[in-house]
Amino acid sequence: MENNKEYAIQVRNLTVSYGPKPALLDVSFMIYSGELVGIIGPNGAGKSTLMKAILGFVKRDIGDVYVFGKPVEQTRGMVAYVPQRGTVDWDYPVTVYDVAMMGRYGHIKWWKNASREDHEIVERSLEMVRMSDFRHRQIGQLSGGQQQRVFMARALAQGAKILLLDEPFAGVDAATESAILDVLAEAKKAGITLVVVHHDLATASEYFDKLLLVKQRLYAAGPPSLVFRQELLTEVYEGRLKVFTDLIKA
Amino acid sequence: MDILYSLFIEPLTKMYFLKALAGGSIVAVVCAVAGCLVILQRMAFLGDALSHAMIAGVGAGYLFMKIFFGVEAAAGAMLVGSLISAFITVFMIGFVAKVSRIKEDASIGIMYTGVFAVGVVLVSVFGKYIHIDLMHFIMGDILGISDFDMIVSSVVSAAVLTVIILFFRYFKITSFDPVMAASIGIPVLFFKYIFTGCVSLIVVSAVSMVGVILVVGLLITPAATAYLLTDRLEKMMFLAAFFGFTSILGGMYLSVWLNSAGGGAVMLFSTIQFLTVLVFAPRYGLLADLLKKRKMVPQQVIEDIVLSMDKSGVPVTPEGIRMYMDVHHKVFVNALNQLQDDGMISVSGGMYSLTDKGITEAVRLKKAHRVWETYLHYMGVPDNELHEKAHVLEHFNDSTAIDYIYGKMGYPETDPHGAEIPVFYADGAFCLTDIYGFSRQQVEVVSIDTEKDIKEGDIIKVTHEDDIWTAEKNGEKIHLTEEEVSGLTVKFL
Repeated sequence: MENNKEYAIQVRNLTVSYGPKPALLDVSFMIYSGELVGIIGPNGAGKSTLMKAILGFVKRDIGDVYVFGKPVEQTRGMVAYVPQRGTVDWDYPVTVYDVAMMGRYGHIKWWKNASREDHEIVERSLEMVRMSDFRHRQIGQLSGGQQQRVFMARALAQGAKILLLDEPFAGVDAATESAILDVLAEAKKAGITLVVVHHDLATASEYFDKLLLVKQRLYAAGPPSLVFRQELLTEVYEGRLKVFTDLIKA
Repeated sequence: MDILYSLFIEPLTKMYFLKALAGGSIVAVVCAVAGCLVILQRMAFLGDALSHAMIAGVGAGYLFMKIFFGVEAAAGAMLVGSLISAFITVFMIGFVAKVSRIKEDASIGIMYTGVFAVGVVLVSVFGKYIHIDLMHFIMGDILGISDFDMIVSSVVSAAVLTVIILFFRYFKITSFDPVMAASIGIPVLFFKYIFTGCVSLIVVSAVSMVGVILVVGLLITPAATAYLLTDRLEKMMFLAAFFGFTSILGGMYLSVWLNSAGGGAVMLFSTIQFLTVLVFAPRYGLLADLLKKRKMVPQQVIEDIVLSMDKSGVPVTPEGIRMYMDVHHKVFVNALNQLQDDGMISVSGGMYSLTDKGITEAVRLKKAHRVWETYLHYMGVPDNELHEKAHVLEHFNDSTAIDYIYGKMGYPETDPHGAEIPVFYADGAFCLTDIYGFSRQQVEVVSIDTEKDIKEGDIIKVTHEDDIWTAEKNGEKIHLTEEEVSGLTVKFL
């Protein structure tokens, strides 16, 4: 549709398996640069496998993953990962600055210290997400929105143009949720491609430009209005869908 | 003076003491540094497992050298043997957890006791050939440290410390966020193995000094002590090293004074050290926690002060306010300070008065109180209980809840006692989000910040339904955003 836009991510005929049953089967889609995309699907549908495939550390049976036109293996660090809130140890003794600096670790040679340039990049990244004033704070002593910003800064310091967020809205209160949405909107404005693994169907259509409905196969990809079709959701979510009928009507 | 000399200086003149101090410190410092990463990765149990498992290796190494080479108590072989058994244990733990439904903690429990048992059986069955003092193995003997142990632990410590310093960044990121680390191409599994190897090495070299049971303490306790004091991994490691050293130093003196086993004294001292820090740590200590809680002023006290000051209407002395309050003096003073910080009250010449902000707050509270009283009255609560119940409910800090209740009752103008339910600021204006009951009449705009067709002096009627704010001006309806409404103040005609 938009020929002048480049593809941030291209996945072609991707099949991944851990055992006799494929976790992902012949999945193909494209994500344009600058899009805000949600990956949805029931538990165990292969969402996190897909995420790992985009990060380039899952063994593929068949298929290719391209990041900005290059095979994913050659683009280490172009896709930044933002971990699920629940998996982060918020008591870990690191400051905001330390976490942002981790974005540079892939660039610093192992026998060297962080250079002055690395420090400058980290400073700039923190400034971009307005976290400079908190640089010496331990990460547990921040609000939910600020915590998300820190990981955003790390992604910026990493020099990533694509951000992969793992369930950023899982288990957050309403205030944090809206704070995170603001952060996403800002990142999008800055031209960053955002791919979000998302669990909550009720909010999915409202948050994202484009949705990927995954359950082993890719059932649908496109704007929410196209993906939220009764027959599709019934098939993917099987019996658990009655609640969402209103949603589709709306 | 003589007492001080014999307590502190005399032990230092003894060779065995100095040797134990040096050897113990080297091991303790490295244990503590590695221990930081161990506790952050919740691997505390692993140290336990490794230390127990190595007896099998020690026995096997002993036996191997004795049978094939006829060498008695070959220290080198025992060391290699214990390392091998440590690695086997780690491997088996991971293997069992991976291939079965047994979780890792249970797997650790099974494998380390299993391998430990192999060692115990080996040593007792071949008791004739193996002259290992099980007691020594379990308790350690820091005061009788051998030259060989000393050399081994120095080399091991230097090697492990070098690895940790060299790859510090990678240990940090793989323990903090392994997925991200993998995504930027850091070999997470490789560093995990390296680290496990390091821990095995130092555990093995520390066992001869403090024994199987106490080595975990040396690994964990100083690191945990440091963890309570700092928010940076680098600092935590330095502090842990320091506490590791003091554990040995304090423990050694303790053992000389009490004439007790060295290992026990060391861990006793280390634990006391930990408990002391647990109580007194400036940020994460129990005492700091307690003080923080005490400093916190209950919102209720603050609001009661505002209300009683509003009631008096004139500047008052603190004692004047205090008369109406039933709280601890300290709490009262803190509350006054906080009110001053928030700009609710001002002081001049020892007399306290409410600022405009304070008066607005008082209006909000009075409103809340009277709305609740009216509501409770409707609900059939006896009149004599009204005030007390409303007094509790008024501290709900949720304006929409009060708005809802107020609206549901049809915006009554007075409460059951006949007191007017206030809607105004001091100057007669009010902000729509602060004061409730606006929709029943027309209001004049006092100030507004919007591009839309509403300006100061306009006469409007505002409604708030289904979360949509609508201003009606000359029969024309204009929607307002939440932001515009919060900046809008109006007054009644």
